[in-house]
Amino acid sequence: MSLNRRNFLKTSLAASTAIALPIPAFAADVLNVALIVPSPAADVGWSHTLELGTKALEAKYGDKIKVTLLENIAEGPDADRIMNKTVADGNTFLILGSFGYMEGGLKLAKAHPEVSILHASGYKTAPNFSPFGARYYQGTYLMGMAAASLTKSKKLGCVGAFAIPELITSINAFTLGAQSVDPAIEVSVVWVNSWFDPASEQQAAKALLSQGVDVIFSNAQDTPSVIQTAEEAGVYAFNLNSSMKTYAPKKYLGVVATDWAPYFLQSVDAHLAGTFKGASAWLSMADKCVIVADWNPDIPADIVAKITDVQAKLESGAFSPFTGPITDQSGAEHVAAGVTLGDDMILSMDWHVKGVTTPLPK
Amino acid sequence: MTILAFILAGTLAAATPMLLAALGELIVERSGVLNLGIEGMMALGAAIGFVVTYQTQNPYLGFAAAALGGIALSMVFATLALALTANQVAAGLAIGVLGQGMSSLLGKPLESQTLNAPDKLGIPGLADLPVIGPLFDQDIVVYLTLALAVAIWAVLNHSKLGLIIRAVGENPSAARAVGFPVLRIRLAAIAFGGALAGMAGAYASTIYTPLWADGMIAGRGWIAVALVVFGTWQTGRIVFGALLFGALSLGGLIGQAAGVGLPSQFLASIPYIVTILMLAVISSNRRRMRLNTIASLGQPFSN
Repeated sequence: MSLNRRNFLKTSLAASTAIALPIPAFAADVLNVALIVPSPAADVGWSHTLELGTKALEAKYGDKIKVTLLENIAEGPDADRIMNKTVADGNTFLILGSFGYMEGGLKLAKAHPEVSILHASGYKTAPNFSPFGARYYQGTYLMGMAAASLTKSKKLGCVGAFAIPELITSINAFTLGAQSVDPAIEVSVVWVNSWFDPASEQQAAKALLSQGVDVIFSNAQDTPSVIQTAEEAGVYAFNLNSSMKTYAPKKYLGVVATDWAPYFLQSVDAHLAGTFKGASAWLSMADKCVIVADWNPDIPADIVAKITDVQAKLESGAFSPFTGPITDQSGAEHVAAGVTLGDDMILSMDWHVKGVTTPLPK
Repeated sequence: MTILAFILAGTLAAATPMLLAALGELIVERSGVLNLGIEGMMALGAAIGFVVTYQTQNPYLGFAAAALGGIALSMVFATLALALTANQVAAGLAIGVLGQGMSSLLGKPLESQTLNAPDKLGIPGLADLPVIGPLFDQDIVVYLTLALAVAIWAVLNHSKLGLIIRAVGENPSAARAVGFPVLRIRLAAIAFGGALAGMAGAYASTIYTPLWADGMIAGRGWIAVALVVFGTWQTGRIVFGALLFGALSLGGLIGQAAGVGLPSQFLASIPYIVTILMLAVISSNRRRMRLNTIASLGQPFSN
């Protein structure tokens, strides 16, 4: 075949069709799952807990499932491109590990009804698109009780990433838990306005220490910076998602951990059975998603007993931290006595309870 | 620890990574080259410094390796900017991105690992003083960085070497005409800047926050570049700017912890606004400004 223009066009057309044809790279009975996370999946932190959830899938389904991990994917157009590629590559079950993947993921779900998608911390739902999150506040309430029993200055502190409802809720429950043990407790908050800046997190922790704070809540940091600083200074600290006890062998107060395995398993089962339905899942202690662990042995026995008691009530649903009367920072009654805030009120919380000394950024 | 002690003790350490990188960039820019890759060189230095210190448990080796890493990356820049007379802005940005990518790759296996911070080195007598004592209880790199600032000031303004570097930056053709090897001097300046940026990164990852987290430099390299420009290439102003920035960023956090009724986003932006304003006011004399600006900055030169 001589290389003239007509033949060249023919051959290149043939070649491009060959490339574009979907090549069945995987056996048909293997489910391909893609997990996309915003930070490196290290040994600790948010992305790590999601990865552990997919490990449970692998343990159950063995070689019937193949999980692809895509880590450190910045939110935005790049994430959209990568999501689309994972679907083009034959993945039919996606787990999107960041709020900012929401719009891109939703578009993808609409274009590919055969694909099921789980999306972390979002609020939009589609028939094949489920947002999921954890009720961290149940755990931080218990941490507040423990913190109140150990503080000498009666001043607790929190280093927070961004002042969004999820984090505000955790701080409020932490404060209410502490006040249930000692009503005089005060909580200072420092927002670093970044999901990821170990140096600022460390400075924020030290700023709290200089105010006399002696228990620190590391709220939504994926690095051990705050925990490490607290251990060095000899004050108690705790964090969310996965245990950082190894970074603070003496002063680690405990962890509000998350276990996504039950939810992931249930969702994949539904996907395989063809019964996957997009619905918001705000998982609690009762769902075995929110777990408190690694309690510090310094917590007095009577408080441990109280914590166990409240924990049982949280698990059974008999108790919610956001049950009135609750006064806000201005001193006005925000939740009347006997009233329990509904999920929508908790999910959109933009006020602090009395006892949080830092005004909320507007 | 009182609030004052926190700010006194914290400011110098907070300023050190930016100051170290800015001093290196000062020499580079004084020789007439604009290297915008500081952020990437710091990120690479941070990763190399952490990995080497983690493996050998020897922070000095970590710093040395970070300096070499910074030099290596700056040589990529020098190849583009000096040998190939590429656009310096583009070349600097390119190696900046390259450095951040290499940093992620190198640090990956050690994500979230920690090191023990070296002990502080109190100056006998001074460190025990009431009130200002914490100012004299720092790690060794802080003292060395301040000493380096004095040395750089002295060299630039009161030595033949400084005169040569400035001549090369102001008028490379004239410098070439009287026999100075312009490109070699610029090459040396770029290497020096790379070494300091690498060590600045190592300071951040092995001493200031002794842990590895990808992306931990978080824009401090860009602040270093800004300090050099807004400090109008004067050593004293750059030191002042770095300290002011460090103190204000701590002050903002203190303000939040103490319950000041200002939004945290505003408190967080104060250091940037005030530092730029202060340096702009100091440098507002137009005539002096013209004298200070480096005439051939960013312009390629070939023999």
